[in-house]
Amino acid sequence: MAADKKMFAKHLEIKFTKEHGANKMEGGKITDMVGKYYRLGVEQNPRKLEMKKAGQELAKKRGLVGYNPMMHCGGIPLGQRALTPSFISGTDMMVEVDDLHYVNNAAMQQMWDDIRRTCIVGIDLAHETLEKRLGIEVTPETINFYLETLNHALPGGAVVQEHMVETHPALVDDCYCKIFTGDDELADEIDKQFLIDINKEFPAEQAEQLKAAIGKTTWQAAHIPTVVSRVTDGAQTTRWMAMQVGMSFISAYSMCAGEAAVADLSYAAKHAGVISMGEMLPARRARGPNEPGGVSFGHLADIVQTSRVNPEDPAHVALEVVGAGCMLYDQIWLGSYMSGGVGFTQYATAAYTNNILDDNLYYDVDYINDKYNGAAKKGTDNKVKATLQVVKDIATESTLYGLENYEKYPTALEDHFGGSQRATVLSAAAGAATAIATGNGNAGLSGWYLCMYLHKEGHGRLGFFGFDLQDQCGATNVLSYQSDEGLPVELRGPNYPNYAMNVGHQGGYAAIASAAHAGRGDAYAVNPLIKVCFADSLLPFDFTAPRKEFGRGALREFMPAGERSLIIPAK
Amino acid sequence: MAYKPQYYPGATSVAANRRKHMSGDVEKLREISDDDLTMILGHRPAGSDYRSTHPPLAEMGEPECSIRQTVEPTPGAKAGDRVRYVQFVDSMYNGPSVPYFRSYGAAIKFRGVDPGTLSGRQVVEARERDMEEVAKFQIETEMFDPALSSLRGATVHGHSLRLQEDGVMFDMLDRARLEDDGIVKMHKDQVGRPIDKKVQLGKPMSAKEAAKRTTIYRVDNVAYRSDKEVIEWVHRVFDQRTKYGFKPE
Repeated sequence: MAADKKMFAKHLEIKFTKEHGANKMEGGKITDMVGKYYRLGVEQNPRKLEMKKAGQELAKKRGLVGYNPMMHCGGIPLGQRALTPSFISGTDMMVEVDDLHYVNNAAMQQMWDDIRRTCIVGIDLAHETLEKRLGIEVTPETINFYLETLNHALPGGAVVQEHMVETHPALVDDCYCKIFTGDDELADEIDKQFLIDINKEFPAEQAEQLKAAIGKTTWQAAHIPTVVSRVTDGAQTTRWMAMQVGMSFISAYSMCAGEAAVADLSYAAKHAGVISMGEMLPARRARGPNEPGGVSFGHLADIVQTSRVNPEDPAHVALEVVGAGCMLYDQIWLGSYMSGGVGFTQYATAAYTNNILDDNLYYDVDYINDKYNGAAKKGTDNKVKATLQVVKDIATESTLYGLENYEKYPTALEDHFGGSQRATVLSAAAGAATAIATGNGNAGLSGWYLCMYLHKEGHGRLGFFGFDLQDQCGATNVLSYQSDEGLPVELRGPNYPNYAMNVGHQGGYAAIASAAHAGRGDAYAVNPLIKVCFADSLLPFDFTAPRKEFGRGALREFMPAGERSLIIPAK
Repeated sequence: MAYKPQYYPGATSVAANRRKHMSGDVEKLREISDDDLTMILGHRPAGSDYRSTHPPLAEMGEPECSIRQTVEPTPGAKAGDRVRYVQFVDSMYNGPSVPYFRSYGAAIKFRGVDPGTLSGRQVVEARERDMEEVAKFQIETEMFDPALSSLRGATVHGHSLRLQEDGVMFDMLDRARLEDDGIVKMHKDQVGRPIDKKVQLGKPMSAKEAAKRTTIYRVDNVAYRSDKEVIEWVHRVFDQRTKYGFKPE
């Protein structure tokens, strides 16, 4: 790829050679090794000024000091170098980096809300109970009536008891349930408002794969209210759903509220026929289902929907999963649940801002297509066999290219000013590229680890302390004969033995899982039900374009759910 | 035949410099006095006694122990010094050393050290007087350049940033400055506290000299991809780790 075609060039030029706020960064080239340091502090940046003013007002209002940028380094505030905005990769959205912290970004919050408040519940077990045990006839008409009932009950509407407290619909307006099935005949009979239509939402080839995998089974895609999920936790999702499912069946099918069969329906909804987005974690990290530490990389790859709207571009699919994964796993899971603090945002944003990772991965795609006869194009017959030699070739070229970019473009290096950021980006490119070329996620993982080794030797440094643990032993676990260590990447997750503590990795691993399948043109990575469940434009967060959504959040253009303005005094 | 460590593969000047850093066979370029070193480390006032965490070992009546008899304590351990640190930051723009090779060097040449390796910095913790020996060795040799390397205990940001216009690695806390006489002087200690006098670190290496002595591969100096033996060696490490996990034998 010629220098003038670097995908990051335009964004770095705007970021580093144009003035933003009052940072005086006008002039120069992105290849300059020397920069001017004006030490202007927070005064140079509009968002920092806004925060400073808010801190001062807060202190005055409550009589207790709060945010004060002069508390940094004993009176030397942030901004000793230029404070510059960033671009969301794949877009022209220029944002303040502060606005990519999830606390400052409603879209990021909603992405996680939408995952945490979602469960998939099979409806066939319930129907069998009704038909075989109680002799009740189930027809498309009764299913439609049940779904109408459920969409009243799931947000918190009463269905069978008198004088009941209910939730206000305007506070839970993001709560609903739809269904989907691999049975076209049944789908035709379902009221369209309730149906996630696989034929409509997916390209024909993917729809056929999904319907074949789902078969004649039918599933409910349920999203409980954001506000409920926030007040409680992810483990609440299936409980809430199960209770409202039970009440809705009682009402819709005129059952006895106390009959034993209702327990069977609840059991099916809570246990036998339910799929959570995340598995429960063990006691040492104690979290219930549907918390981020339990969301496997394969699940996240399926939650992100880019593969159905842009199937011809596997690299784009992987890049969107990187963005979603770095935000969820690094910023929210490791950054807050596991560690506390705010610093993890810096690691994560490197992978989805300023097109630096994008440039590396698309360079790799060109390299693979040239050398391996179009192996990076979507397809199954064009893949290159996953051998160690192929892994070494692709991952080495990817890594050397990425390292040289940092060496040729000091502004790229400055943008990724920490080795952990660079390690994430380089390895995500190497891993995703290898996965796309081979259609094999673990070959991608292998490429990831080789990249870490090469990076460490090239620059004589890698990331922070923890990288030594996870990355130096990583290759040994890619094909390990031990069942947990040797898991396919799709089934690994944040709680995989060595992945539990290291920022800057998990989004990349999720991308590798998605890249392997996007490269093959698969409709899903590991779970067809999850893929279909999130193929739904009614969700507040658009899972086809996570990075763009983060940009909208940063620009304060994203409207989240679960707001409480209805029940609090107007400001 | 006596074993002769090879230390590191590679046919380039960068590989050769890495071997030098690992072996400790580095050129002495400058001197720093004990008091100046103490001042910039910032752990105790210059000229003051070492603070201790336990009495000298000779006074402690240690238990009978074959390990204790076999391993001679370091001077700092013998005296009961507290454990303190020195932390270096190395610029990506041909800084003389890099974090991993500072760690390898410390672990190979010195005893009783606990090196920590990150991307922007490298820390060695040891008994205070032992640590000072490690710090002095590095500052006085080609492992250090006043402009492209730096002592930074906290707020280490700078290794990957563009250089200042005067060629010095950016430091948010502005601990060291290139002054009009061409000498880099520290006027703050490792963690950015002002010190009583300016400590001279010496003249920066010329760009040509830094490029010659550096241990980092750069495409505009010694390109990583040009050192085929190093890459081949990394591939071998990768091969073996992968295969061992699959079939340990």
